[in-house]
Amino acid sequence: MTDSGTSSELRNKQVFTTGEAAEVCQVSQQTIIRCFDAGRLQGFRVPGSRFRRIPREELVRFMKDNNIPLDRLESDKKRILVVDDDEQIVELFVDVLSRDGRFEVKTASTGYDAGMQSQQFRPDLMILDYMLPDVNGNIVCKTVRDNPAMAAMKIIIVSGVVNQDEIDDLLQAGADDFVKKPFNIERLMARINELLEIG
Amino acid sequence: MPTPPDPTSARRIELILEQVEALPTLPAVAMRLLQITSDDESDAREVIDTVRADPSLTAKILSLCKGAAEGGVNVTTLTIDKAVVLLGFEAIRNAVLSIKVFEQFNGDEPTEEDELTRFSRPAFWRHCLATAICCELVAAAHGGQEELNPAEAFVCGLLHGIGKLALEHVLPKSYQRVIELTEQTQGNIADVERRVIGIDHHTAGKRLAEKWNLPHTLCDSMWLYESPARSLPDVPHRRLVGLVGLGEAVVRAQHIGYSGNYLVVDDIDERAEALGLEPAKVRDAAETVMEQLEQRGAALGLGETPSRELFMESIMQANAVLGRLNSRLETHRRQAARQTKAIDAIRNFHANAASSARSVGDVLSTVVASAASVLGDGQYAIIYQPTGQSNWQISRHTHEGRITANHLVEPPPQVGQLSVLARREDLPISLMGVMPWLSDYLVGFDDLRRVKLMPLPCAWGTAAVLVHDRDALPAKDQLKALTYTWGAAIGAATQHEGARRMSEQLAEANRVLTETQDTLLRNQSLARLGEMAAGAAHEMNNPLAVISGRSQLLAMQLPKATKEQQAAAQVYEQSQKLSDMITALHLFAEPPEPRYEQVGMVDVMQDAVSIVRKRNPKLPALRFNPAMGLPLLHTDRQHVAQALAELMLNAYEASPTQTVRVLAQVDPLDDRLVIKVTDDGPGMDAHTLKHAFDPFFSSKPAGRQPGLGLARAQRLIEAIDGRIELASQPGEGTTASIRLPVGKVKDEVGGSASGTAATPEANGEGRVIHADP
Repeated sequence: MTDSGTSSELRNKQVFTTGEAAEVCQVSQQTIIRCFDAGRLQGFRVPGSRFRRIPREELVRFMKDNNIPLDRLESDKKRILVVDDDEQIVELFVDVLSRDGRFEVKTASTGYDAGMQSQQFRPDLMILDYMLPDVNGNIVCKTVRDNPAMAAMKIIIVSGVVNQDEIDDLLQAGADDFVKKPFNIERLMARINELLEIG
Repeated sequence: MPTPPDPTSARRIELILEQVEALPTLPAVAMRLLQITSDDESDAREVIDTVRADPSLTAKILSLCKGAAEGGVNVTTLTIDKAVVLLGFEAIRNAVLSIKVFEQFNGDEPTEEDELTRFSRPAFWRHCLATAICCELVAAAHGGQEELNPAEAFVCGLLHGIGKLALEHVLPKSYQRVIELTEQTQGNIADVERRVIGIDHHTAGKRLAEKWNLPHTLCDSMWLYESPARSLPDVPHRRLVGLVGLGEAVVRAQHIGYSGNYLVVDDIDERAEALGLEPAKVRDAAETVMEQLEQRGAALGLGETPSRELFMESIMQANAVLGRLNSRLETHRRQAARQTKAIDAIRNFHANAASSARSVGDVLSTVVASAASVLGDGQYAIIYQPTGQSNWQISRHTHEGRITANHLVEPPPQVGQLSVLARREDLPISLMGVMPWLSDYLVGFDDLRRVKLMPLPCAWGTAAVLVHDRDALPAKDQLKALTYTWGAAIGAATQHEGARRMSEQLAEANRVLTETQDTLLRNQSLARLGEMAAGAAHEMNNPLAVISGRSQLLAMQLPKATKEQQAAAQVYEQSQKLSDMITALHLFAEPPEPRYEQVGMVDVMQDAVSIVRKRNPKLPALRFNPAMGLPLLHTDRQHVAQALAELMLNAYEASPTQTVRVLAQVDPLDDRLVIKVTDDGPGMDAHTLKHAFDPFFSSKPAGRQPGLGLARAQRLIEAIDGRIELASQPGEGTTASIRLPVGKVKDEVGGSASGTAATPEANGEGRVIHADP
């Protein structure tokens, strides 16, 4: 397992062991254990054992309190979640986005899946197909918008609809933009950069 | 008519009949005589014995025989037995019957004071006896015919009018009235009997005959003698009954005695022929009636009056009758002359009415012309209520019928339908109150007090009212004939007009229905197309997105300017076109809901130009001069702009090297804004014109791009209550027009805006755009 691989793993973790926390903070494991036991780093022990565990939010707070750089916890790559039930469309988006190199991409094929991924992956931007097998895109939009933890997430709805009224409805549900299928790659990328404020 | 109209009168007649039937029965000898026949020798013997037992009867019979028998039989030597041998049993029987029947009424002798008007029984008997003799003579002259037995004919003739005696006996006062009235009207006494008493002497005679068990022959003679020969029932004694009627008529024609019937008899010959009798023989009989009457009358104790006096009386009676007849004839002649005029007028009216067109107006004119020809000078007007209108039309006419003034006026207060108001004869009364109101429209009529209102009736009431200001009107019956004719013609024309209008409305309704069906059909197919397009768009867009995306990626990744890279770029380009087409189809099938706003033509035009530029950047610069004085539109700016853009693109494609002109103006006829896009292209033939709005239709040769342009433009404009029309001729270019409602302002829009929109300036025409190549 390479360093970068490890880092990448750690970036997405929600709960950390003392060893992992030590790596993220670039301190010794002993230091982490000391701080944990002293109560300066909040956490819990795994039931039925003495293993210590630290939730991500607590670790972030600890690192900020002690001016430890967050680099190893949070990547500079933007996270994008692609939601579509059409496998080939998903693949196309993944290829297009990966080509750019600045994005970390995950995918979902249902509304439910999209909700789960939003919680765990905390994407910066979601490319959301309107017609999903379980719920429609506007429901997903609303669910995301109702959650304050995901307030910053950008949403681009993708659909074949052409009627301006319907497009307006989608934007009303909380989407930041609408892209019509089929799409022009350059224009799509420009829109994504704009929304994520990256050049 | 004898049919009583109400139960009281029916009951009264029954009472009279009961009284008639309550008359004393005939003496036993007469009754017995009726029951036996000559074949029954023993019974005949009995009768002869009975007669012989009555000396006065014997004397009368013997004296009767003396007159009737041939060869001058010596009365002194004659006995009843001999008489029977000589004359036959039936003759004796009939003689006895006659004598006894008349004796039955002998009690009713006239009193002094009312002798003048009372039923003169001797005169009546003379009439009866003369009839009897006439019948006997005619029957004898046609000797050998079984159903015309002279003796039987005699007794039938004698007793034919016995009903009069019965009625007079039962109702002396009423019958006196009958006599008087008959005298006054110079009619048939039977008609007066029916009017005054309720039944006539025919019926009374029949009842009496039934009561007395008289033979059918007698009964029917009394009942039916005045019926025309052809209407007599088919019974064996049919001719005999007819003969009685004939005999009666012959006697009446000679004014012998009193029959009560003053009607003139002038068809003896025809009547005779109808009965199969020889007119000559009837005439012969008629000549000898008088002579025989004296002999027989004396024998029966009737004719105490000397023959000369009888003759003189007859002549005087006849003269009096003739005098009355003459005066009536004169009256008739005068009536006929007047009626001829009316009939001429009616004939001319029909001739004119048939020749000209049959609108109600034409008929009204013809009616006035006809009226003027009959009624002469004066002013004429007609009040008419056109079908389905509450107003009345009052038209003034010349004598030729030409209309000089025409008012459509509100009916007078409390008066509604002319047809109901003016029911026939009641009209002048019901219109009395109308006169002051009417006078407003009759300026120029000489004297309004003399104005006559003549209702012209038709099947459903009054078709119209003729107004005329002279007194000289024809007699009531002629006027009636005329007004009914005119009224019927107006009524027919009204109905004809109604039927014509109805058929026109039906045709119009059919046309609208067909159009509606077409539109419905189109909308239905468009709705289906919409569903299909929406589904298809979704289904196609994913694969298309993959094709488009992958080809873009390829084009990006492959080395520039290689064949492969170009191919990939082409794939992308074409997929975009396909996508556009799906979008267009989708939008065509489901056009967006219009969003109405106030918008000026110039703004719409600018939008359209920018759409055109975007769609076809190769287009030359577009110039347009904003026109002044065009109204604001209350419409969907996008719809109009896009539709206009489609038309402009279409026009440009039709004539890429020529000028495309766009003009907007308000059509003064229907207050719509018309935007015309005209090109100088090759134009369209009828087939192309018809299908120009069909999606994907193209008249262009294969390879040119067919599309949705015009179809979409039409959808967009129809969605905002507008219309698109195409006018074109091959070789003469094409003009596409968008017609939009002006000033269709919704409630939420302010009044000032609607004012602006609704009042285009007088010079509402302007060149909006001028597109040069």
